[in-house]
Amino acid sequence: MIDLEAILLSLKLALWTLVLLLPFGVWVGHSLVRAGSCKGWIEALLALPLVLPPTVLGYYFLVGFGGGSIFGIPLVFSFTGILIASLIVNLPFAIQPIQRAFESINPEIREAAQVSGLSAWQTFRLIELPLAWRGITSAAVLTFAHTLGEFGVVLMVGGAIPGETKTVSIAIYDKVQSFDTAGAGLLSLLLLAISLVAIALSYGVLGVRKPRAR
Amino acid sequence: MLKVKIVQDLPMPLQVSLECLPGELHALVGPSGSGKTSVLRTIAGLRNPKSGLIECDKEIWLESDELRGVSVALSPAKRSCGFLFQQYALFPHLTAIENVCIPLQNFGLNSAQQKTMALKWLGRMGIADLVARMPNQLSGGQQQRVALARALARQPKILLLDEPFSAVDAPTRQSLYKTLAELRKDLNIPILLVTHDLREADLLADRITVIDEGISLQTASPQVLFQKPRNSRVAELVGISNMFEGIFNAGNLTWDGSNKQFNVVDKGKIPPSTPVAWVIPPEGLSLHQDSSNTRIAAIVESISALGQIAVIQLHIKDTNHRITWEASAAEVRRLSLDIGRATYLELDEKKIHIMPLRPINDPRHFRN
Repeated sequence: MIDLEAILLSLKLALWTLVLLLPFGVWVGHSLVRAGSCKGWIEALLALPLVLPPTVLGYYFLVGFGGGSIFGIPLVFSFTGILIASLIVNLPFAIQPIQRAFESINPEIREAAQVSGLSAWQTFRLIELPLAWRGITSAAVLTFAHTLGEFGVVLMVGGAIPGETKTVSIAIYDKVQSFDTAGAGLLSLLLLAISLVAIALSYGVLGVRKPRAR
Repeated sequence: MLKVKIVQDLPMPLQVSLECLPGELHALVGPSGSGKTSVLRTIAGLRNPKSGLIECDKEIWLESDELRGVSVALSPAKRSCGFLFQQYALFPHLTAIENVCIPLQNFGLNSAQQKTMALKWLGRMGIADLVARMPNQLSGGQQQRVALARALARQPKILLLDEPFSAVDAPTRQSLYKTLAELRKDLNIPILLVTHDLREADLLADRITVIDEGISLQTASPQVLFQKPRNSRVAELVGISNMFEGIFNAGNLTWDGSNKQFNVVDKGKIPPSTPVAWVIPPEGLSLHQDSSNTRIAAIVESISALGQIAVIQLHIKDTNHRITWEASAAEVRRLSLDIGRATYLELDEKKIHIMPLRPINDPRHFRN
């Protein structure tokens, strides 16, 4: 039987991560283009979740969150806890594509905007943001798909509380542990389908290019 | 009127001072890396020098010096200048008309009014039928016209053109020259054109400022610049081929390495026995088949035919000097010129121009 609760929880976690992380990713990605000498260190720090084993990250979150809480909600073994962990784990997926997209804008385009009388905000809104759109879409898809499939960190921080922290990946693991291979297969297939659709959609959006007539 | 004075040591030395009148097309000419584009970018506010003054239409855009620091430095958006980039720099995600609407954002116009205004400018550039095209659907010349419409849409007080014709083919360039010539009459604003093409500067500009290694060497009309360069470096940069050295002594110029002497009028400023550089323009030279007292014997060393024009290199007899003479193919036939043949060269002394002589790599060379 399909674990609908786990699916909905995974979708909720992925959506919340996306909603909270994407604006931050745009801000950081844009700021990093003109960051000074400390740029390398900031980039390294933001890329850390890519190379650290999820269990190591999860361990540090577990120790770091300890008995802490936000607005009275405990961080460990709670949805808020796995959301915060998910936000941090997804930093590189949200920031790097956006940063690359902003970096790929020809500096002369920005200068043309400046000498056209646009303010910094107008330049960002009318010129840079539309030009970085492909990177932002990539970041959104990557973050969403990666959050859906996140396992190690969620397990370490959240455990497997049904309806609270038991996401699809953990449900699959549980089902395998209890020899429910059919259920695990069904959930895996569903996760595969959602990921495939998300990526296909993003390629569909990104793939539309106007023909180059020369 | 635009007044510019820029002094800086880093990131590259710049010592430039120039003025450009309303309606004037002023060309900045110099070799690659000489700082021409830096001057333009400084005027536009895309970079700020350590010390400088930029004043446009009695409004100060930049005032700074090393001691007191920056007292005025308007942002590029606040400087009313149109800037035409070498590679057009059109906004790739916007159509031609949307590109031209961008500078109209802050004029209190609604979207329909912006489009009407943009359409007017695109029409003036002769591309009203291409308004809905994306930049990558336009040819180089069409892109440059959209860029020009965008630069002019906010009715700037000055127009800055950064090598605008270098990336387009020759026929497109000619038609852009024509558009620019028509525009400058109507606009009546200072126009600064950066180019490394002397022929282009000669063709379009009222005045030319020669820049080398970040230093403005001379500002003059093309005619004066080509006939009376201020020093030997300017002569070299403007491509004067017949430049020689000599000793000037009270109206008498002795050609180095020969016994030839010329009577040259000067303003009496040159001390006796001063080593000088001297140039003679093509119209100061003539070739003859017969000798005379005033003519110099020479041997035809090479003849290079370039279409209807032939460039003849002459070796002055009993010297190491070579002089270049340009003539029509008919003139070459009339004089029966052939390689190795003796001929007689006459220099019009009145056309000789003498200049201070300093080695080209001597920094003092530029600061006379």
